[in-house]
Amino acid sequence: MDLRHSEKDEQFRAEFRAWLDASLPQEMRRPEFWADLSEEESFQTRRTWEKGKAQDGFAGIAWPTEYGGRGGTPTMKAIYDEEMARVGAPSTVNALGLAFLAPTVMALGTEEQKRSIIGPLLHCDVIWCQGFSEPGAGSDLAALQMRAEPQGEEYLLNGQKIWTTNAMHGDRIFTLARTSTSDGGKRHAGMSMLLVDMHQPGVESRPLKQMTGASEFGEVFFTDATCPRSDVLGGEGNGWATAMLLLSFERGSSAIGQYTEFRRQWDDVVDVARALDRDGRPAAQDPVLRQSLAAALVELECLKYHSWHVLTQTTQGRDLGFEASMTKIMWSETFRRVSDSYEAVLGTAFGVPELGSGLRLEELTSLAMWSRSCTIWGGSQQVQRTVVAERVLGLPR
Amino acid sequence: MHFQLTDEQRALRDAARSYLRDRFGPRQVRALYEDPDSDGVPAPLWQALGEQGWLAVLVPEEHDGIGLGLLDAAVLAREFGAGTVPGPWLGTILVGEALRLAGSPEQQATHLPDLAAGGVRGAVALLRPGWFPSPAGAPASARDGVLSGRLDLVDYPSTADLLVVAAQDGLYLVDPAAAGVTVSPVDALDRTTRLGTVLLDGARGEKLPGSTPAVVQDLLDRAAVLVANDLVGIARKAVTDTVEYDKTRVQFGRPVGSFQALKHSLADLHIGVTFAEHAATYSAHAADVDAPDRQLAASIAKSKAADVSRDATGAMIQFHGGIGYTWEHDTHFYFKRSKRLEAAYGDAAQHRERVARLLVDQAPDSPAVSAVGSEMSAGVA
Ligand SMILES: Cc1cc2nc3c(=O)[nH]c(=O)nc-3n(C[C@H](O)[C@H](O)[C@H](O)COP(=O)(O)OP(=O)(O)OC[C@H]3O[C@@H](n4cnc5c(N)ncnc54)[C@H](O)[C@@H]3O)c2cc1C
Repeated sequence: MDLRHSEKDEQFRAEFRAWLDASLPQEMRRPEFWADLSEEESFQTRRTWEKGKAQDGFAGIAWPTEYGGRGGTPTMKAIYDEEMARVGAPSTVNALGLAFLAPTVMALGTEEQKRSIIGPLLHCDVIWCQGFSEPGAGSDLAALQMRAEPQGEEYLLNGQKIWTTNAMHGDRIFTLARTSTSDGGKRHAGMSMLLVDMHQPGVESRPLKQMTGASEFGEVFFTDATCPRSDVLGGEGNGWATAMLLLSFERGSSAIGQYTEFRRQWDDVVDVARALDRDGRPAAQDPVLRQSLAAALVELECLKYHSWHVLTQTTQGRDLGFEASMTKIMWSETFRRVSDSYEAVLGTAFGVPELGSGLRLEELTSLAMWSRSCTIWGGSQQVQRTVVAERVLGLPR
Repeated sequence: MHFQLTDEQRALRDAARSYLRDRFGPRQVRALYEDPDSDGVPAPLWQALGEQGWLAVLVPEEHDGIGLGLLDAAVLAREFGAGTVPGPWLGTILVGEALRLAGSPEQQATHLPDLAAGGVRGAVALLRPGWFPSPAGAPASARDGVLSGRLDLVDYPSTADLLVVAAQDGLYLVDPAAAGVTVSPVDALDRTTRLGTVLLDGARGEKLPGSTPAVVQDLLDRAAVLVANDLVGIARKAVTDTVEYDKTRVQFGRPVGSFQALKHSLADLHIGVTFAEHAATYSAHAADVDAPDRQLAASIAKSKAADVSRDATGAMIQFHGGIGYTWEHDTHFYFKRSKRLEAAYGDAAQHRERVARLLVDQAPDSPAVSAVGSEMSAGVA
């Protein structure tokens, strides 16, 4: 048992901290700053900041330098996540590209794809969308209908994607479509992962308004849109295997970034509880609310221990395999626990923008709502539980 | 970053596991359950605990011990939980810890070697049942070294050779055979212990000179950490055995483990137990390195382990169906042991309250608060 990082890893922390100190404006660390911006302003501000970060070498931390990464260790990536969350740095505008596409390209892409995709992605010159879900294909992804017909050197795309994050900002979309008619019962056959330009007449994006009022996701319609046949990732007809590999990457993360972010959220909730009146004393003194806050803290700290466990395993070169599905369940459930206690603390005041004391609540409230989505996207909690039961515990199908 | 047991700790775990598998398995536990005359300390088992050094883990080498840390003891506690092992192992370990932390050199030299070898069996009364786990819950009162009080639900007092009793001003060594000490057995549902009431009425106690309130709290935390590890061992075993049973039990033409209601419950339990295992491990490590958040870690471990073990042992009965409710099946060993330990040294709600006292009530820059999240950078080794 030794919870220290190597000196080299700690050196990286010091370096990145110094960079953040110098390069993240104070106002951007305050949630109010973001609450007062429009969605569009917020996106562009984050994009610009993230570009600068990449230019200074703090992007693609554990990726090879030849493709524009920093060539660091998995621990450095974990430290990066932790430091970003600690200072409340803006979240990435290219989340799906970073988490899913880039590692898949690294694993399956051609040399040409690696060179043309990774660098611009890291520098936010190209914002990537993920086009998997369709109106009739959510958890059951294999039910997807979108067609991509080979025509000479191109595919002709027709169909619809939904819940597409960044639909209104996307430059390109990695999407799953049927490139040949699947024979009989083989639902997983005949699919391909295509890398499609969203700036073309055959692609139309429409925003969908979320429960928060924001429109971070939308619908994408394809009407005779085109895509060169060279822009297939992982080979024509291998779409299902490519998609499964792609989805596995998210699970490998240590979740230390999530821990740090939710721990900040918890600290802020406690501040709110200290300021709010309940039965003539601070809500923080209410025995039931204390139980709720403490129960959330217990889950949070367990999440941190688990992230140490994951980091230990990955540092030693072990693949967590399906065990990694647990990490997603753990962090998203923990996030909900913290959010539940926030809602309980606020009571009838849930949703008001600020407390009389001047304490602003927009950020906490939107976090609480966002926590509701994290148990749905990237494989719903129910689907993940089934994976854990069958693949980790070995229960029969 | 190595958040894992060392090779030596894994070897210790494997040794305990294979001893229990070969020499003291469910059959022996059952025999004990069904023997109305047993004192609850199977002689071969107790002898083995002494010979293997499992009573000596925390005793310093200069007193014939092995001088390891709480994490090593926790590794054993976890195996003993999984095996529903009877006997006054915990009481003996805690008497040793009281002496190590608060005893005079003479007291240590007199008692520690015998405790390490298993020649002396210990029992402790540190906290009134139901009370918040703090020195204020001391069950005895002392005046001029003379003790009085009723000590309820003490583990293994009838077979003990040495008692450690908490009074309002610290810890005392008490000879159970001395005048003014009356021990009367109390029936326990969990037959892997033997409970009793100890009446102190003018009994002479020998004060442990170093037993400040901070040391008493430390001892209570160490007890909570070891119990948390026992509970985690129970919970893991309950989940594993239930999964195995549900893979083979067929109803409606298919294994019941293929039903999603069971799958999702078992997946949640697996995740909960995994969290509790981490917490139980870290809490012991935190004590060993005197981490700034060690109190917090102890309370996190105890509350999480108690909740998870309650859920896992309850699910074990439910997901075995009728057979799970029988005397013949082992389910009740785990359920009953879990019940006994869930509330020992503070139940889940009390430990959550302690978490709140440490983090909600204290000023944000107090050590307990700033400790959290800074281990990685501060380098707790
Ligand atoms: C904020 C947000 C962002 C998203 N971004 C993207 C994106 O960028 N790209 C993209 O492609 N998709 C995206 N999604 C879509 C997401 O992946 C799907 O919503 C998700 O896979 C669930 O599909 P569904 O919405 O069709 O729900 P359904 O599959 O219809 O599920 C409805 C309910 O049934 C349950 N259920 C379904 N199947 C089973 C089963 N076999 N056993 C038990 N329960 C089951 C589900 O858990 C859920 O509770 C996003 C979603 C959200 C909320």
